Amino acid sequence: MSITAETAKAHAHDPAVLCCRAEAGITIEAANLEDPAIFDDLVDSGLLNLDGALTIEEVLGAKLTKTCDSLCPLTADVVEGAKAPSKPAAPEAAEEEAAPAPAAAPVAAAAPAAGGVLKIHIGEGKDIDLEIPVGALGGGSAAAAEVPAGAAAAVAAAPAAEQEAKLIRSLTRKHFNITEVKRGPETKIEGTTLYIREGIEKECIDSQKLVYDLKIDIITPADYHTYSETIMDVQPIATKEGEDELGSGVTRVLDGVVMMVTGTDANGVQIGEFGSSEGFLDENIMWGRPGAPEKGEIFIKTQVTVKEGTNMERPGPLAAHTASDIITQEIRECLKKLDESLVTDTETFDQYRRPGKKKVVIVKEIMGQGAMHDNLILPVEPVGILGGKPNVDLGNVPVAVSPLEVLDGCIHALTCIGPASKEMSRHYWREPLVLEALHDEEIDLCGVIFVGSPQINAEKFYVSKRVGQICEMLDVDGAFVTTEGFGNNHIDFASHHEQIGMRGIPVVGMSFCAVQGALVVGNKYMTHMVDNNKSESGIENEVLACNTLCPEDAVRAVQMLKNAMGGEDVKAAEKKWNPNVKSSNVEAIESVTGKGLNLVENEQSLPMSQKRKEKYD
Amino acid sequence: MGNVQILLRQHVGAPCAAIVQAGDEVKKGTKIATPTGLGANIFSSVYGVVEEVLEDRIVIRPDEEQKEEFVPIEVEDENDKLALVKEAGIVGMGGAGFPTGVKIGTDLKGGYVLVNAAECEPGLRHNIMQLEEKTDITIRGLKYCMEISNASKGIIAIKKKNEKAVQILRDAIKDDDSLTIHLLPDIYPMGEERAVVRECLDKLLDPTQLPSAADAVVINCETLLRIAEAIEEKKPCYSKNMTVIGKLNGGNEPHVYMDIPVGTSVGDMIERAGGIEEPYGEIIMGGPFTGKSTTLDAPVTKTTGGIIVTIEFPDLHGAPVGLLVCACGGSEDRMREICEKMNGKVVSVARCKQAVEPKPGAALKCENPGNCPGQAQKCLQFKKDGAEYIIIGNCSDCSNTVMGSAPKMKLKTFHQTDHVMRTIGHSLYRRLTVSKQVDQLPNGK
Repeated sequence: MSITAETAKAHAHDPAVLCCRAEAGITIEAANLEDPAIFDDLVDSGLLNLDGALTIEEVLGAKLTKTCDSLCPLTADVVEGAKAPSKPAAPEAAEEEAAPAPAAAPVAAAAPAAGGVLKIHIGEGKDIDLEIPVGALGGGSAAAAEVPAGAAAAVAAAPAAEQEAKLIRSLTRKHFNITEVKRGPETKIEGTTLYIREGIEKECIDSQKLVYDLKIDIITPADYHTYSETIMDVQPIATKEGEDELGSGVTRVLDGVVMMVTGTDANGVQIGEFGSSEGFLDENIMWGRPGAPEKGEIFIKTQVTVKEGTNMERPGPLAAHTASDIITQEIRECLKKLDESLVTDTETFDQYRRPGKKKVVIVKEIMGQGAMHDNLILPVEPVGILGGKPNVDLGNVPVAVSPLEVLDGCIHALTCIGPASKEMSRHYWREPLVLEALHDEEIDLCGVIFVGSPQINAEKFYVSKRVGQICEMLDVDGAFVTTEGFGNNHIDFASHHEQIGMRGIPVVGMSFCAVQGALVVGNKYMTHMVDNNKSESGIENEVLACNTLCPEDAVRAVQMLKNAMGGEDVKAAEKKWNPNVKSSNVEAIESVTGKGLNLVENEQSLPMSQKRKEKYD
Repeated sequence: MGNVQILLRQHVGAPCAAIVQAGDEVKKGTKIATPTGLGANIFSSVYGVVEEVLEDRIVIRPDEEQKEEFVPIEVEDENDKLALVKEAGIVGMGGAGFPTGVKIGTDLKGGYVLVNAAECEPGLRHNIMQLEEKTDITIRGLKYCMEISNASKGIIAIKKKNEKAVQILRDAIKDDDSLTIHLLPDIYPMGEERAVVRECLDKLLDPTQLPSAADAVVINCETLLRIAEAIEEKKPCYSKNMTVIGKLNGGNEPHVYMDIPVGTSVGDMIERAGGIEEPYGEIIMGGPFTGKSTTLDAPVTKTTGGIIVTIEFPDLHGAPVGLLVCACGGSEDRMREICEKMNGKVVSVARCKQAVEPKPGAALKCENPGNCPGQAQKCLQFKKDGAEYIIIGNCSDCSNTVMGSAPKMKLKTFHQTDHVMRTIGHSLYRRLTVSKQVDQLPNGK
């Protein structure tokens, strides 16, 4: 499609191709030219041959001497008065800014090459060995799309004088270990054994009109090869101490055990939309993902049957969660009374504001389409039900929370579908991006904004405009936008980028994309993207939490935002999904920071399920 | 002649309210409905008796005998030309239906009245025929219009291909310094309001702007005729010129009818033109691009310019189809209807980059009518979505662009007007073979 003067400038050195028929004698303007973004596809389809085409900067303002049709590359024989080509401008080296930073050297060396061309001319010769360190080539000019090399340091130099970091609040987690879960006459914790009251199922069922049945299974590691209905949620078992409120004070949590909600409707239909994770547990859980169980943990698994046909309506899944929470709540009451001597570990999360550092905000898009997608925000207990407000009922408008509220379970997630890319409740409890940004002393994380993803486009734009407005008020220097799932939610994901980006704030987006989740829409502010994909083929493989945001993604995103805020260019994404982009970026980050990044495993490490064998791999 | 059905909404704005009741006798020119907001008076087009007043229409049983004479309009000051135009209930007769009294009531401060004589919808003939046969009264209408709106120039925009009409107009305006002719190329769309402004005044308006932003109004040539009739004869606006064409007994030549009573049924008009030659595809009210499918019992209104009977649709046997929706052609609903009639399955819908909604939900407008913004990306989308066929509703220039990529991508292309063009023996909208530039007359004379 025709381009604007602005796009023409950005693509000054790309080939000039007419987008439409143009008659002899016209003066060539940007509006006559096709968008270079689609050239690859056009060349692939055999529609375009760019041989001999002049560049956009050469033809602008020149005269067309022959009437030419659409998709005609402008060559010298049909253009009169073409300008001389300029050299592609190398991005300005960030030397000055980067100088005070400890890791400045590789950055300075890399920058000029990052957007430019490395030319090696060999006229005549023998036995020529060229050794070029990969770091010096801007992260390998081949594939470093996401993060230009030398990622780290660029932003380190704070513009203002060093100021004291200010402690805002702290959150302490006291861990209690559980090694065995049994049924018994009452719910209690004795030492490291958790007993769940026999017959509690009836109360769970009776509490919810839509719940027809509820079974409890205690799954120990020995039982991992057990069939399960689709996993709707994985939740930590945690409670607040005394009068402490969620997000500060003390939280008690059980280690070694998690709650797992599973279910179907009365017709046996899985509670899922795009795929579901039913099957043998050990073949369908991506162990160790922030939202998934750890290998070795015991699952208290509820299997809930909801009224037929309510599996795809909000009340059905909500009833399943609420019924299951009756069990969790009884455990929480016992946990509150446990003797302090049983604490096995204590960890404290400190929330600092860092004046003088680049201020950033994390915008997390959560599902709010309303069919079965919802999230309860800020329940009284960590990942509880009581007190939580469904974001669909809040109109999906942005809600501001502190990073510690996120880590204290302020989201009870009812997003159980498209299992590989959705964030379970436990994900927020261990949210890698929040942790990474919270602990990074080079940036000032001011908070987290949750925004729902409504079903209707008009509402999507309604909420994204509010996100933009809040970011403007916050005066942030940069923003992360994360999303879960793919498809429909990418419309508002893109709009969040636009609304924030149009205010001059750099944005880094994080989403599962790869092959199946390729973005359906885009805009010019979507320049910095981190792909959460881990699957081998780049697909929604129905393995629980496989493609969710992990520490390795958080590290890349933080480095990318630092670069963006420092004005570094990031290479445009390649046309097709290329997993090498991620590996070369990881390498670049490792070489600059000197710290190794252990990449997580994917579904290939799991025993092959029949479903995967048939549908995917 | 069957019953006459006069719709209460024949214009931009709110429906009118009926001021007659069942059983009332009416004459030609009896006022039968008045505006409730933006709108224009509605008059009976026949002598007869009101049979029913329905929510959206007044049904009149016409008398056997119909006299020529009519009830003249009444205004306080007979010399107040604008008041006459308003009282006569004139609306834009090119199809838009905007109340003319409101449009020309603005002070153009010496600006322009642009006459839309493009008659751009292929197959229609009544505008050009009017210019050829009712030249003087049309020119007088233009002069009244200029006087009312305080315009100093009148420009008649007409396609160069209409040589006879152009020659007649040249003779008619040769002694009037305030009038000129602007020749238009034979491409679609030249009759879009903002295209007329751009061609005549070299000013491209935003889709949200009115021609008044260029100190101009754009008026269809039939509207000028009705203005002159209102001012000179005190005649209310109750009749319409139109073209009936298509798969009719006796051939596909256009049948032009002048002064058809508003409210006449489509079926009556088709019978007058010879009747349908069965089998047929659909009946369109309006032009091939912007018209809509209609039925035999539907009544014609103040804005009906064409009635077209088409040949049967081709059968795609459920093949996957992409729709390229454009401001120049049918709405998405209309495109889907055509696809359904062709037995295709819509798998992808794209909208031309330049087609924008001036207001949410409003009809699409083109940012630069007749100048293509490129369509290759849309074709890539159709291909990606698995379409085998595409149906496009584009203008001449955009259709040409689509043909630059779609066939190479093995997308078989239909234009939404194909069934009409085949019916009337007009070339299909595919490649553009004529220039967008035409030489103008010396000094517009």
